[in-house]
Amino acid sequence: MTLERNVLLAFLAAAALLPALVTDQYLLHLGVVALFYAILATSLNLVVGYVGEFSLGHTAFLGAGAYTAALLSTHLGLPMWATIPLAGLISAVFGFGIGAITLRLQGPYFVIVTLSFAEVLRIVANNWIAVTNGPMGLAGIDQFGITNKGTFFYIVLGLTAVALYLAFRFVHSNAGRAAVAVRENRYVAQSIGVDPFGTAMQAFVLGAFLAGLAGGFYAHYISFVGPEVFRFPFMVTMIIMVLLGGKGTLLGPIAGAVIVTLLEEYLREMQELRLTLFGLIVMAVVLFLPNGLMGFIAQRREQQGTKPAPRAATKERTV
Amino acid sequence: MDLDLFLQFLTNGVVMGVFYALSALGLTLIFGLMRVVNFAHGEFYMLGGVTGWFVTSYLGLDFFSGLALVAVAMAAFGWLVDRFLIERVRGQGEEPGILLTIGLSIFLVNATLLVVGPAPMKVAGAVSEGPLFFGPIAVTKLRLVAVGVGIALIAGAHLIIRRTRLGAAMRATFQDPMAASLAGIRTGNVYAATFALGCTLAALSGMLLGSIYSAQASVGGLISLKSFVVVILGGMGSFAGAIAGGLLLGVAEAFWGGYVATGMVDVVGFVLVILILLFRPQGLFSIRAERA
Repeated sequence: MTLERNVLLAFLAAAALLPALVTDQYLLHLGVVALFYAILATSLNLVVGYVGEFSLGHTAFLGAGAYTAALLSTHLGLPMWATIPLAGLISAVFGFGIGAITLRLQGPYFVIVTLSFAEVLRIVANNWIAVTNGPMGLAGIDQFGITNKGTFFYIVLGLTAVALYLAFRFVHSNAGRAAVAVRENRYVAQSIGVDPFGTAMQAFVLGAFLAGLAGGFYAHYISFVGPEVFRFPFMVTMIIMVLLGGKGTLLGPIAGAVIVTLLEEYLREMQELRLTLFGLIVMAVVLFLPNGLMGFIAQRREQQGTKPAPRAATKERTV
Repeated sequence: MDLDLFLQFLTNGVVMGVFYALSALGLTLIFGLMRVVNFAHGEFYMLGGVTGWFVTSYLGLDFFSGLALVAVAMAAFGWLVDRFLIERVRGQGEEPGILLTIGLSIFLVNATLLVVGPAPMKVAGAVSEGPLFFGPIAVTKLRLVAVGVGIALIAGAHLIIRRTRLGAAMRATFQDPMAASLAGIRTGNVYAATFALGCTLAALSGMLLGSIYSAQASVGGLISLKSFVVVILGGMGSFAGAIAGGLLLGVAEAFWGGYVATGMVDVVGFVLVILILLFRPQGLFSIRAERA
């Protein structure tokens, strides 16, 4: 727990130094994207890693947040410090509504219904032209004259810090431990008085809130929101990040977000080949690295931890 | 309400429903019985259309021998997918299966795009396009033949499951894998055969619809989702349910498209699935009293 906290703080501190060291706008853009995905992956991880149910509808909250920020900014002219938190709150409301229905379900049913909600929202966004401007999307969202990527980088870094703080506090709270107990064994958890629905709901709403914050930031950063924020590719990217990094750890999704962002950028020129390779990578991760990078590292550390012990014992005997 | 128009919508809905049913029948085997949440199902459907286009236009086969060749090729493909990928995550819950099939679907779509490109491909049909009139209803000959083939395939799948030794082995394996393997059934082969059958049904549905409309590399995602919708509507693993669910979805979409709004047709299935899980979570025709 202390190690986890220190690594997270070190990550944030190192990230805070980045704009001072790097002035290249392109590299800063990559940093912004990586942190944006780190927030999303952290929020998805709360559901996938700690509740243990596989949500494929997380784009619903990203999209709800993005549209909220876009509409508040273009219609009411609210500034960014108001739209992004409001985007999070509206997403949390969506999370509460969708969670109230979907969290009664488990396994494949949960997967399909969460996905259905995201698809319904996408189709509504695509067709409710009076509000969402349909497939054309909402363009020209106010950026308040910020042209330097470094400023955006600090904004998204602040949001990442908030997301990691909330996730850390949740995971190490009673509710977080209860969620893990439900994940490991639902019936045992219930028998000692844990309410599975209630704890899952807390994680789900928190996840929705964080995804909404990320969505709100996305709206201002890209300055455009269209129905594609609800689409499956976003979802796939998030899942790959969580799983590659290691679900159920706080560091894993961040590592996954950074690796996948860089990999996507590196392979950008080869559009279809890139995605073909992505498919293969996903399959390879599932087959050979089922607990992600963090699971792999933890396993190695355990192995290294056990190896020196007998050696020490033999030394003692020889003395 | 205009009765002629109503009947025409109903017919269009039933035509689409047969193909939804055929594709969903494949998924009810893979998802309902084997418990693999198969997100690559739409890609099997897509591959059926694309290979159908390849064998009819490039190899110059006629429609029916092309159909047979596609069936054999896709069955072999499904067998290999199960043996090399799905088998490794069997019995580990649904999550690794979801990821594995998502990875497989991304791979198949983009590999297909690399090879044949994004343009729609027309599968050469069995008969000409000319329309037939039944009273006020117009149906093209091509659709009628495709629906006929679809129904024949559904009946064939039913016979395989109910009347053959393989079918008996399947039913035994999904009731109790341990007891089945103790009785001498090679459950590994049964799983692979079930997956292959599911894959083939999806692919043939794709080829039949490819002859009416056209096959396209990027169509799979929506088909996967609709097949899931149909399977949940009908009840997991239920043969009759997949057919009824497919027809229901086809007709509901046709009426929604005809009377309400064409833009939002795809929303029908998702709303149906949310409603059914709220009010009748075991599906319309579940074979066991299983709840979500």
